This record gives sequence, C-alpha cells and structure tokens, in this order.
Amino acid sequence: MKRSILRATRHPIPWVFLFFLVLPYLLPLVGGYTYLGVEVLIWSIFALGFNILLGYTGLPSFGHGAFFGIGAFALGIVQLRLVQGMWIPILAGTLAGAFFGALVGLFLAKKRGIYFALLTIAFSQMFWFVSWGWDSMTGGEDGLAGINRLPIGLPGLFGIDMENVLHFYYFVYFLFILCTLLIWIIVHSPFGRTLQAIRYNEVRAGSIGYNIALYKWISFTLSCAFSGLAGSLYALLRNAAFSDVMHWTQSGNVIMMVLLGGGLTNFFGPILGSGVFIVLRDLFSAHTEHWLLIYGLLFMCVIIFIPEGILSLFKKKEPVEESLVSGKKR
Amino acid sequence: MPSLFEFLSQILNGLVLGLLYALVALGFMLILGVMEVINFSHGVLFAWGAYFAFTLRPLIGFWPALLISPLIVGIMGLILEFAVRRSYGKDPLFGLLLTYGAAMALEEIIRMIWGSVGRSIAAPAFVAGPIHLGFMPYSKYRLFLAGLAILLIGLVWLFLEKTPYGAIIKAGAFDSEMVMALGIDLRKLRTFVFGLGAALAGIAGVIAAPLWSMKPTMGVEAVMPALVVVVIGGVGSFWGTILGGLLVGMVTGISVMFMPRASQIVMYILMAIIILIRPRGIMGEKSILE
Repeated sequence: MKRSILRATRHPIPWVFLFFLVLPYLLPLVGGYTYLGVEVLIWSIFALGFNILLGYTGLPSFGHGAFFGIGAFALGIVQLRLVQGMWIPILAGTLAGAFFGALVGLFLAKKRGIYFALLTIAFSQMFWFVSWGWDSMTGGEDGLAGINRLPIGLPGLFGIDMENVLHFYYFVYFLFILCTLLIWIIVHSPFGRTLQAIRYNEVRAGSIGYNIALYKWISFTLSCAFSGLAGSLYALLRNAAFSDVMHWTQSGNVIMMVLLGGGLTNFFGPILGSGVFIVLRDLFSAHTEHWLLIYGLLFMCVIIFIPEGILSLFKKKEPVEESLVSGKKR
Repeated sequence: MPSLFEFLSQILNGLVLGLLYALVALGFMLILGVMEVINFSHGVLFAWGAYFAFTLRPLIGFWPALLISPLIVGIMGLILEFAVRRSYGKDPLFGLLLTYGAAMALEEIIRMIWGSVGRSIAAPAFVAGPIHLGFMPYSKYRLFLAGLAILLIGLVWLFLEKTPYGAIIKAGAFDSEMVMALGIDLRKLRTFVFGLGAALAGIAGVIAAPLWSMKPTMGVEAVMPALVVVVIGGVGSFWGTILGGLLVGMVTGISVMFMPRASQIVMYILMAIIILIRPRGIMGEKSILE
C-alpha cells in the first residue's frame, strides 16, 4: 500500500494534473490570464493526440491543422443549426475529425516519409479551400460567429455557467485529464507498442505479421479524432470558428509544440511544448507586429539546435526510446 | 454556357498557367529529389522573385530584372541551404520544418519591406495588350510567358540531360551514397541544386508577377500547386512534372469557367483520383523517397 503511494508520487502524471489544477490561481501572479491557460490545455490535447502519429508511429503529418479546423467548424455547424448544447456538438467535432481523418487516412495508409508528408500538406490545403469556398456552411471568409458556451449540468436541476472562463477552464481540464489518460493507455498498450515497432522498422514489423497499413490508418484516425476534439474546444473558447483555424500554419504550430517540448522522446513533451509556445507567442505578439519573423527564426533555431526539444536537455530518454532524430529510416 | 471562344481562351489560360506551375514545380522537384527535402520556402522564394521584379523593373527595365531577380533569389537559396544542411539524412520532417520556418520569416520580411497591401505591375510595354490569333484575340503577355516558360523548361532539360552536371544531379537523386563513393563532392552539388531550384522559383515569380495578384502570402499559392504537380506527375520524373503542371493548369482553367468557387479545389481532387489509380503518380517510379 505504502509502496504504491510512493510509486504514484514518483509518476509524472499526477504532478502534471496537479499543476494544471492550480494553474488558474498561479497565472495572475506572473501576469497571465485564465484564457491563456485554457489555450494551453486545448493545444495540449491537440499535440498529445498528434504525437500518437508523429512521435509514436513516426509518420510526419503536416496537415493536422485541417482536422483541428474541421472539429471547430463541425462544432459550430451542429451547435448553430442542429442541437443546442455542449456535449453533442463537441462529440460531433471529435467524430468529424475522426471521420475525415479516416477518409484521408485511406490514401495515406501505405505511404511514409516524404511522400506521406507531401500528401498530408495537399489534403489539408484542400480542406482549407473547401472551408473557404463553401461559405453557406462555414461562413467562408467571415467564419462562424455566435458559438455559445452553454451551461453544463442537468437540465432543470442545475447548470454551471460556462461563459465564465474559469469554469470553462475546469471543463477543459476535465477533458484534458481524460484525454491524457486515454492517450497514455493507448501508447503503452500492445497496440501502442506495435506503432512504435512500425516507427523503428516498418518492414520488420510487417514481416512479423502486423498489418502495417491498418495500424497506420488507425493511428492517423485516432490522432485526427483528438485534433477534432481540440478544434471544437477551441471554437468554444473563441465563441467562433474563423477560417484561420483551418490554416496550414496550425499544422506547423502543432508540430512545433510537439518538437519544442520534446515529444519525440517524452510522453509529456507536447504538454510542455504547448505551454512554452503559447506563452512565447503571447509575449512576442504583444511587443511586435512582426511576430512571424521571430516565429520563423525561432522555428529554425529549435530544429537546428534542439531538435529533440526542451525535455531532452535535462532528462534521460524515457517512453520513446529511440527518437526520430537519430535514426535514418530506410 | 460559355461561348466557344471563351472556352478556348480559358483552355489557353489553363495551359499558360500550367507551364508556370510546371516551372515552379521543376525547381521544387529538383530540391526534393537531390536533397530529399520538401522545400516549403519554395513559394516564398517565388514571391521574392515577383517583388524584386516589382522594384527592379521600373529602375532597370524588364530584361535586366528578369536576369538579376532570379540571381538574387538564387543566392538567397544558397544561404538558406546552409541552414537546411542540418536536416540531411534525418527524418524528412526536419527539412520540411526548417524551410517552413524560413518561409514564415521570409514572408514577414516581404511584409516589412513592401507592406501587406497587394501590389501589381503591368506587363512590359512590348508585350502589352491583346494579339489577334486569327480567330480570337488573346493576351500577348500570356503567350510571351508561355514561350519563356517553355524556353526555360527546355534549358533545364538540356542541362539535366546533356551536361555532366545534370548526370551527377540525376545520379545524386537516385542514390546519393553511391555518388559520394565515386568521389563527387555531394555537398557542393547540393548547395548548387538548392540555388538552382531557388533561382527557378525566382524567375517564375518575375514572369508571373504581371498575372498574379502580388501579396506577401502569394508564395503559398505557388508552392501548393507545385506540390500537387509533383505528386501527380510522379516524384523524380521530369516529364511527369511537366505533364502534371499542364494537367493542373488545365483543370484549374476549365473549372474557373464552370464553378469559379471550386477552381482551387479541383487540382486536389485530380490528385486524389490519380494517386488512387497510380499511387506513385503518372510517371513516378519506385524510389528511395517512399
């Protein structure tokens, strides 16, 4: 008994959860605000889910911004046209991400490396043009406004006001816990081990008898489901789904978060990366209008100098033992 | 329904656009083939070419600008290669991300120098206005552009097929380790190819400037079709890229006529259909890139 408690305190997961539990009360002390905290949580969900594909399966997707956007628009469309509420639109956003991910995944399941990356860019760009051109559905250039954070609770009995950012923070926090645990279980399950085997050596994993294409497809679809979920939460946070949620730069952002934190070598890298990224963006964009220049240069510096991310600087490699960076994958 | 002449002129527009796409895609594919890097900054280099033309043409005229702008863009490519060098042999993601970061930074510099508002520059006087083709009038500049693009594509082909350097580049794209084993300095070759690819993007930018709406984000409108063209034509295939470029240009041109809203999407649908039938693209062969 005593031992298991000890072991639990050594495990990082409870500490991460505890940190985010008290974060809203720490943020004002350092000049932050709760909204920023919600953003970090949402992007953490996005980046953690994306890392199933990038870090664990080793597939370089440069198009997950599209599924993030699809989640946001699906939530908006469902909430504005079909069902008022929170849970069903969020579920719709998640499923939409998964559905379109599954569809695109059919084209990608047999690809890898550069070819995989090329196709993800192309498909995400296609979705972007669709969201842009189909303005009767998505609002086109203006996006969808008027998305509401409705109260959550039992109708008629009680409801928690979600327009309050702090309340919404804890709502997202709850989903963040669920997702983190779920993704932890996924990547440490036999299924997750198989994904890692595919990353190490696809041919070998195939010769043992695993259906590589199927595993890759599932990994892709799963990551897209989390992208969709994150996108729908993002739409709720902003009370709108603007066309920029779909933009290709979002795909770059999420990769950056994974890499910056050290997602290729550590399960928690994407969370750290999201936090650092969001805070940096907030700092820089407040001080200069040319934030994209700094962003681009920073991006290059990270790739050149710390390709394995911040956590790799002072931590021994843990769950993902051999990273994408060191291995030439042929 | 559009009239026959409208139809014909849209097809011609599509072909001209296709030649331009092919030219951009050619540089993109050279870099992809030799370096195994998806050069995301290819589009922004195209944009730099266009903006250089915007600034230089009023100063020194069309022909000198046509020569000097791609040279400067080529030098930018050489400098960029020093950063991208770090990603060789690693996962393709790193090369992509490096050039993505560079694209962001270079795009922002365009904004800082030339501003965010759209710019435009007219066709040079000697090819301004329409020309009568016998059965219908057509833009002189577009024909001129098509001729230039064909000429440049021809030059690249001659270079790749008829010179020893071209042979080395092709060999390097096929099996870089073997080329190194033969005692060829691959580092120089790679730097050179990156510069050449960038210069091709730059020159395409110069000649596209009078047709394209010039804005800082115009690079994406060039790099995305280039990417689709390479996937359609087949990675590593010269004629595949030309064919892919023409196809993409044509379907875009034709769809502008019938559903202008969807014209940007058709090329992706075409791509999806083609890779369903031929997973490596029309003329693609099995390569190390897979």
